[in-house]
Amino acid sequence: MKKAIGDNMIPKGWGFDRGLELVKKAGYDGIELWLGDVPWLQMSTTDSEVRELRRKVENAGLVVSNVSTGLHWASPLSARDPQVRAHAARIVERQIETAQLLGCDAILVVAGLVTDEVPYNEVYQRCVDVLKPLGGAAARAGVKIGCENCNSEQRFLLSPREFARFLDDVASPAVGIHLDVGNIHDTGFAEQWIEIHGPRITRVHLKDVLKHRGRSGDQSVYTNLFLGDNNWPALRAALRKVGYDGWLVAEMEARYRYAPDQQFYDTARAIDRLIKGDL
Amino acid sequence: MAVTRREFVACAVAALAMPRERKDSRFVALADHTPRCEVLDLGEQCRIRESIAGYRSVLAHASLRRALLVVPAALAIPTRPIERSLRRGATVILESGAGFAEADSQEFLAHRVTLRDRLRIHIEPPIVLWPRATPYVDYTWPTPATVRDFSRVVPLRRQEGRVIATVDDVPVALMRRVGRGTLIFLGSPLGPALWADDAEARRLLLDVVSSGSA
Repeated sequence: MKKAIGDNMIPKGWGFDRGLELVKKAGYDGIELWLGDVPWLQMSTTDSEVRELRRKVENAGLVVSNVSTGLHWASPLSARDPQVRAHAARIVERQIETAQLLGCDAILVVAGLVTDEVPYNEVYQRCVDVLKPLGGAAARAGVKIGCENCNSEQRFLLSPREFARFLDDVASPAVGIHLDVGNIHDTGFAEQWIEIHGPRITRVHLKDVLKHRGRSGDQSVYTNLFLGDNNWPALRAALRKVGYDGWLVAEMEARYRYAPDQQFYDTARAIDRLIKGDL
Repeated sequence: MAVTRREFVACAVAALAMPRERKDSRFVALADHTPRCEVLDLGEQCRIRESIAGYRSVLAHASLRRALLVVPAALAIPTRPIERSLRRGATVILESGAGFAEADSQEFLAHRVTLRDRLRIHIEPPIVLWPRATPYVDYTWPTPATVRDFSRVVPLRRQEGRVIATVDDVPVALMRRVGRGTLIFLGSPLGPALWADDAEARRLLLDVVSSGSA
């Protein structure tokens, strides 16, 4: 398995070039790029500018692990407004294009958002409908769409079997799950999600979670690896069992208040120990 | 009836944007029913595509007492088939797709003017419903039903006809006899709820099409 970390973790004011140096120096193999979440990669970034980002990544001795985005929180694929929905689909298309330009084969999508206004049945059906053609486009581009399990935040696809049924309904080999092992909270066990989804896992997001705390207001339940309640030996065993040998992408929500670069080193060492089984 | 220059231009633009009615693709016969049931696909002028799928899924096996024309989520109003169906004594369900249009946009102005001048339906600019406490539209005809709202509605002014649905006491749907036919105007889309498998929405539609009074 290979280690990556998101460019949205690069400390503010450091810039992309200095951030890449840090990622490499900390021992990562790759970097996850976040479309729309960092100044160097926006929807308006041109193809030639994306190629320049790739050149910088490769010059730093890294590769791009995948292209993610947080833009779908504001423009969900499940929106009722057709214009918002069209924009959301365009974001996915741009992610696919960007992934191709960056030489990687996976993107992360937050597939739908259940709210008190837009109910579950609509979100489910709308996401299936929109992901079918997007899956076709992804397949033609040689890219996989990984729908992230943002269970609590999306209030959508809350169990691993339901998520599997959702992927069955989308019925595209290019659409799978970008599994975040920290997002499962109190509603299950990440290792069971890994077993159920196996070959459909496109990428794995790593963070730890403080279970049994709930999520109150802005208080995060996410923490650094090994500080929370995930069963890391079981997670590792499940990954081995299903033959996952892909990217482990660090996504830490809690940030170091001082010496923010230290988090890169500490997380890289933790992932090394996870990979080695030194737990 | 006075028409402002802006309204005239809006109507002209909308008329040009409307696909020409053809016998083949515009009318989609759902089954070999007698009476005939048609769901009109307006192409880009249907603003909520899932609405078409919703009506089709429910009506595919419905038994009708009268001929039925459904116009889902219409922005530009296809007046000719509507008027022709009404003349022939059919029930016409005209669902507005203007909920997400800007109130001062040409497309909404054209929608409003066409409804007023051709079908004598008087609407107000769309209302954004959310945030609100209860997410429902209350139907009173042909049987009481509670169906999820679709975030925005096109409200109705006081006018001839029977108000058949309200949102927070605002009228959003009416039923009116027009010659031998019946015109049902929906300012809150029903099609998406049908498409999302809302049982009460399905029952409501089936009650409408099986109603002898429609």
